[in-house]
Amino acid sequence: MAMIPKGLEKQFNILDFSLSSLWRRKLKNLGIMLVFALVIFLLGSFQMLTGALSNSAESVLENTPEITIQKMSAGRQEAIPLAYKEKLRSLYGIRAIIPRVWGYYFDGSNLANYTIMALESDSMPSGNKLNLTLSHGHFPKTTEPDTAVIGRSVHDILGLGERRIFSLFKPDLSLKSFEMVGLFDQGTDLLTNDLIIMNLADARELFAIPETMVTDLCVYVANPVEIETIAKKIAALLPDTRVLTKSQIQKTYQVVFSWRSGFASICLLTALIAFAILAWDKASGLSPDERREIGILKILGWETADILAVRFWESTLVSTFAFIIGCTAAYIHVAFFDASLLKPVMIGWSVIHPSFKLLPSVTLADLMLIFSFSVMPYLGATVIPAWRCSTVPPDSAIR
Amino acid sequence: MRPSHILLIILLFFFFVDTSLFIHSQQLKEELRSDEKIQKIAVAGLGLTDLCVATEARYTRHPAVSDPMAPFMDHPGALEHFPTGSFWAVKANKETR
Repeated sequence: MAMIPKGLEKQFNILDFSLSSLWRRKLKNLGIMLVFALVIFLLGSFQMLTGALSNSAESVLENTPEITIQKMSAGRQEAIPLAYKEKLRSLYGIRAIIPRVWGYYFDGSNLANYTIMALESDSMPSGNKLNLTLSHGHFPKTTEPDTAVIGRSVHDILGLGERRIFSLFKPDLSLKSFEMVGLFDQGTDLLTNDLIIMNLADARELFAIPETMVTDLCVYVANPVEIETIAKKIAALLPDTRVLTKSQIQKTYQVVFSWRSGFASICLLTALIAFAILAWDKASGLSPDERREIGILKILGWETADILAVRFWESTLVSTFAFIIGCTAAYIHVAFFDASLLKPVMIGWSVIHPSFKLLPSVTLADLMLIFSFSVMPYLGATVIPAWRCSTVPPDSAIR
Repeated sequence: MRPSHILLIILLFFFFVDTSLFIHSQQLKEELRSDEKIQKIAVAGLGLTDLCVATEARYTRHPAVSDPMAPFMDHPGALEHFPTGSFWAVKANKETR
C-alpha cells in the first residue's frame, strides 16, 4: 500500500469502512439490493425484449409491399373488388398490382388462429426465391390445386407428424382437404409460424370469397421516391379505400412497443413507486442508531466530508450492484429463457407459441435511462439525509 | 484480506460474466444474420407486413395493417379485452383511417 497516494489510500480506507458497515446490516442491505435489482430486471427485460423485436422488424420488414390498398366500409375492412385494379391503370408510375386473398382461420378443436394467405407469388419481388424459405418441399403451383405450405407451429398444432393431408372447414361447415407440399424453415418462425399459404382459387373457396373480390391489393411503383405521391393519388382515385405505405408499416414497430403500452406503463409506474417509497423512507431521516454512529464518528475526529463519503460509497455500492445484477439477469432472461416471464403477457391467449431466437437489444441509451431512473434517485435519497445529520453537533446526535 | 479486495473479486466475477454475455451476443448476431436473409425473402415474396408474435387478436397479429379502432369493434361500446392488448401500444398513425 506504500505506493498508493495518500488521498486514494484514504478513500480505500473509507471504502473498507463502508463495506464493513454494509456487512453489519447485511440482511437489510441485501434485501434492498435484491428488491432494487428485481425492479431493474423488470425494466431491463422489457426494454431488451421490445428493442429486440423492434430491431428485427426494422431489418426484416424493409421489403414489405410499397403500397397496400384495403377497402373500407362502415369503418371496417372488407373485400376489395378486383375491378379497382383496372381503375388504377390510369396512374402513371405503378409497376405492378398484385391481388391477395388472406384472412384468419380459427381452428375450433385446437383453439388456434391461423393466418391463411394466397397470392401469385411469381409476380412478387423475390417470388422465384421463395422455396429457400422452406425446410423442405415447394410453394403451391397454380396447376396444383388443394396444396399448401404451412408454418411449423401449424404443423405441430395440427399434429400432422408424417402425414401430409389436413382439412379445414369452409363457412358452410363442409371440409376442404389440403396436401402439405412444403414446410417453412425454422429460421422464418418469427414471420411464418402461423401461416398457411395456398393458391388463390383454394383460398377463395375456403373463405367463400367471389371470383371478383380479393382481400387487398399490393402495389409496387417504378420509382421508390414516388411512393407517397402515388399513394395520395390512389387515395384520391379510390376514396373508399385505406392506402398504407411501406414507411407507415415500418413505423408501426417503432411505436407499438413503447412505454405508452399498458403493461410497460405498469412496469414503469411500479418502479417509480418503489423508488418513491425508498426515497421517502430514506429522506424522512436516519434511524437513531445511524444518528448515534455519525455522532460517535464526529467525536472521534471524522469530518462531515468523510461521513458523506461513507454514505456515498454505501449507496453507490448497493445501487450499482443492483444495477449490474438486474441488467445481467435481464439479458440472461431474454437471451437464454426466451423472456419467459414477459412472454405470457406478450402472447396472451395465443395457442401458437413462437420460439423466439432474439438478440436482446442492449443500447447505451437504454442503460443510461435505467441507470438514471434507479441509481441516481437512490444516491440522492441517501446522501442528503446523511448530510443533514452530519452537520448536527455530535453531542446532540448521540444524546 | 481487506473488504475492498473481496469487492474487487466480486466485480471481476461480474466483469467476467458480462464479457461472456457480450461474446455470446456477438455469436448470436452472426447466427441470426443467416436467418435474416431468408426472412427478407419471405417478406418480399409474400408481401408480409408483420411479425408473428401474438396470434390471439387480429390487431396484435397484424398491427401494421389493422385499424386503430379494431380492438373496439366487436360490438357498440365494446372494450378491448385481449391480454396482449396491454403489451402492444396502439400505433399513433393519424394518417390512416
